[in-house]
Amino acid sequence: MAEVIANGVRLHVQRLEPRGGASADSPIVVMVHGMVMDNISSFYFSLGTCLADAGCDVICYDLRGHGRSERPRGGYRLADSMADLAGLLDALGVDRPVHIVGNSYGATLALAFGLEFTARVASLTLIEPPFLIEGLGEEMARSLSQILVAMTDDEVQEWLDNGAGRAISRATRAAQRLLSETTVATDMLETPPFSAEALAALGVPVLAVYGENSDIIGQAAGLAALVPDCTLIVLEHHTHMVLREATGYLRNLLRWWLFDRRTPPPPYVREADRRFATPEWVTQMVPPPDLNAGRRPAVS
Amino acid sequence: MSVQGTAGPGGPGRAEAEARVLGEVTEDLREVIGEEYVIDMDITMETTFSHDLEVESIEFVALADRLRERYGEAVDFVGFLATMDVDQVINMRVGEVVRFIVDSLPAPAVAGSA
Repeated sequence: MAEVIANGVRLHVQRLEPRGGASADSPIVVMVHGMVMDNISSFYFSLGTCLADAGCDVICYDLRGHGRSERPRGGYRLADSMADLAGLLDALGVDRPVHIVGNSYGATLALAFGLEFTARVASLTLIEPPFLIEGLGEEMARSLSQILVAMTDDEVQEWLDNGAGRAISRATRAAQRLLSETTVATDMLETPPFSAEALAALGVPVLAVYGENSDIIGQAAGLAALVPDCTLIVLEHHTHMVLREATGYLRNLLRWWLFDRRTPPPPYVREADRRFATPEWVTQMVPPPDLNAGRRPAVS
Repeated sequence: MSVQGTAGPGGPGRAEAEARVLGEVTEDLREVIGEEYVIDMDITMETTFSHDLEVESIEFVALADRLRERYGEAVDFVGFLATMDVDQVINMRVGEVVRFIVDSLPAPAVAGSA
């Protein structure tokens, strides 16, 4: 099954199961990717196949406007994304609580979904969620503006035309189309803040993962303080891109979370000589100085 | 009498099985990518997904979807991909996927003696 109509939108879906098929008590895990420069493939290859192989019934999908899903002009508010996810579960006939794993915006969406549709959720894993009680819409818009600034830069355009290679060019142009042909940017600005009261009453276990060097690490403590059943894992020397950077550890962590939660979480051992830092062009919101530098022959 | 296992490593049917599966994988690859450059390209066991084909990771998802549909439960693509990260997947050669499929498929029964 690759396509499902949910909430009136055609969504690209991949269902991954262990060899021999999932059983009636297999954990159902739904994976929700990030906004704009992301699609189904990030979770499919990092955690999707791995958790399916470990015995989970995994549902990966492209958010509307992303990857191989339909790209309608409107409907990119958080409430629309939640309705899409609820519609997707309905269309797939999922009738028991699911474990939702979200990355970045997908994690913010997962948390909002957990508050709105608590009975449908068994647990939440939030990887680098933008999280604020005040000004969440502005924060989401800020993240998008970083991407916009980087994409509209002349040097980036030249790099896309001449040196970026097919795969990166296609991914970037898809993101450019999403930003220029839809209401996603203005819809993000309308993202409502989380309610502290609602979070304090959230009856769902939450696993939150942040990178120590992420540009939004400052939001982690507030989330952990408000959610009653929250396990916070901060990975030293990692950034907002922790799903990509620490895939191996996250595979272990999710296996523990889904199958072995009564024991302590697996210890994180940093790979020798690997250190990740958020580039200054992200924190300062200026385009990267020279994307072609790595491709030009060295001048001696 | 008929014997099983001729598509095993080095068996007489192995080369034929690999050639057939390479043709099937190539057909699915061309449909997934759907661009002129890949229609004209000579895709071999040594062709790389990243450097030669410049496959986007989401295109590999679509390819895996087609191959799962084509070969059914006999070929455990989920288990195959579960041990790799995205870079390892994209850096594979077409031949690695073909050999995995041939290894997974039941060997055809052929006439002859062992």
